[in-house]
Amino acid sequence: MTRSADVLVIGGGIIGLSCGFYLSKRGKRVFVLDTGGFADGASGACDDMILFQSKKPGINLELTFESLELYKSLLTELGGDLGFANLGGMVLIENQQELEIMEEFVAQQRSYGLDVEVIDKREMLKKQPFLSDHIIASTYSRMDSQVDPFAVMRGFERKGTSYGMKVFRRNGVVGIDRIGTGDFQVSTVDGTIFQTPVVINAAGTWAGQIGAMVAANVPITPKRGQIVITERVPPIGDTNIWSAKYLVTKLRSDVVVDLNEDERSLGLSLALTRSGGDTYLIGSTREFVGFDKRTTIAGIRAIINQTLKVVPKLREVNFIRSIAGLRPSTPDGRMLLGEHAGIEGFFTAAGHEGDGIALAPITGKLLASMVCHDPVDQRLDELSPNRFAKS
Amino acid sequence: MTDDKDMFICRCEEVTLREIEQAIDEGFVTVTDIKRVTRAGMGLCQGRTCTKTIARIISQRTGKPLDEVLPKSYRSPVRPQKMQAVENEEFNDAKNS
Repeated sequence: MTRSADVLVIGGGIIGLSCGFYLSKRGKRVFVLDTGGFADGASGACDDMILFQSKKPGINLELTFESLELYKSLLTELGGDLGFANLGGMVLIENQQELEIMEEFVAQQRSYGLDVEVIDKREMLKKQPFLSDHIIASTYSRMDSQVDPFAVMRGFERKGTSYGMKVFRRNGVVGIDRIGTGDFQVSTVDGTIFQTPVVINAAGTWAGQIGAMVAANVPITPKRGQIVITERVPPIGDTNIWSAKYLVTKLRSDVVVDLNEDERSLGLSLALTRSGGDTYLIGSTREFVGFDKRTTIAGIRAIINQTLKVVPKLREVNFIRSIAGLRPSTPDGRMLLGEHAGIEGFFTAAGHEGDGIALAPITGKLLASMVCHDPVDQRLDELSPNRFAKS
Repeated sequence: MTDDKDMFICRCEEVTLREIEQAIDEGFVTVTDIKRVTRAGMGLCQGRTCTKTIARIISQRTGKPLDEVLPKSYRSPVRPQKMQAVENEEFNDAKNS
């Protein structure tokens, strides 16, 4: 059986559904294909943050501002509350060296327009009374927000469907053929052939495999993140919290942060966020273990040990589940967004690593702009997949 | 007025039969899909009570066999554990699947 569409999106995660939504809103007839079920990939195994404080001044931070504004308009457009919340965030600082590095980083972010500051221990404890005594200060930004990824994905799908978008699940792509510069012929597991002039590769962690089908270089590597989920508990503080360790490592490769062997080998740095379900999501590891997305006892133990060092009060709280997902990571920490040179009509929108939820709306909107030939946005040159084209 | 459709299928997260049937009709046809779109099975008991019920509802409504709609894997922990449990020696010997 053959089906025709204006645009075929490969990948039904939050990025693929956002692309599908914005393209169908602009009148394109869109099909979205996914190899698995609803949110089977990284979009269903992540935390829920629209996080500003982790970002260096530059394109990712700039796009996060725009994405937050889009999320606010999507609350009306998609209906439902999407689990949107604006609790703010704090990055916890444990020693003088971390404090100096974070003060410098916060100053850079402020000069870029981010509302963030370093607060002293007294102010910090007002917002987070249960923190361990060894935390000496923290940052605070009121900007850090969150959404429920499942609600957003379902919202994109419902609204997109009302514009004529169609989602096909449990039907993976097995090959992409093209005669000359004619339509792409995308074949799937169940034998259907999808015929289309435009293909969007939004396969996230698996986008490299889709790229390979048309000889496009898409250098995305899976970076596993394990997360532990608690039972429903009352709030332990006003904001979501992170450890400064990860940021310090990212900002200053010369600084050796204080981590034990387990934490170092797992790439562990604490993120403790309150979900819309009144549970806490606690992460996360950063592991290069191929496409293995199992959770491990070592990972769960290390995450909980680190958490209890920071918030000892949580000792009595039950954890009810662990999950793991594969972040789509790229060599330079930026997504791939744009058309591949020499493969007219083939676009990639993937490689968001830990920013997929934060950047989903802006990614879909910009991608739709490119497909519809709007005036070129020069800022996006640095996201072009052609930066990785083999010469 | 309440009727059978207002019955809670997932008691932990208070998800009704009506919500589950709606999701099935929108094309979410596995227990895992239903969990992610309705939160059924995400609560304290982690679906130990409702997984089989939901699987049967999907199966009856779609005609799919049960083994196609049931979850393919389970993740630790198998029952709620206090966080301090990781400090016990035995925790290291736990097997993960």
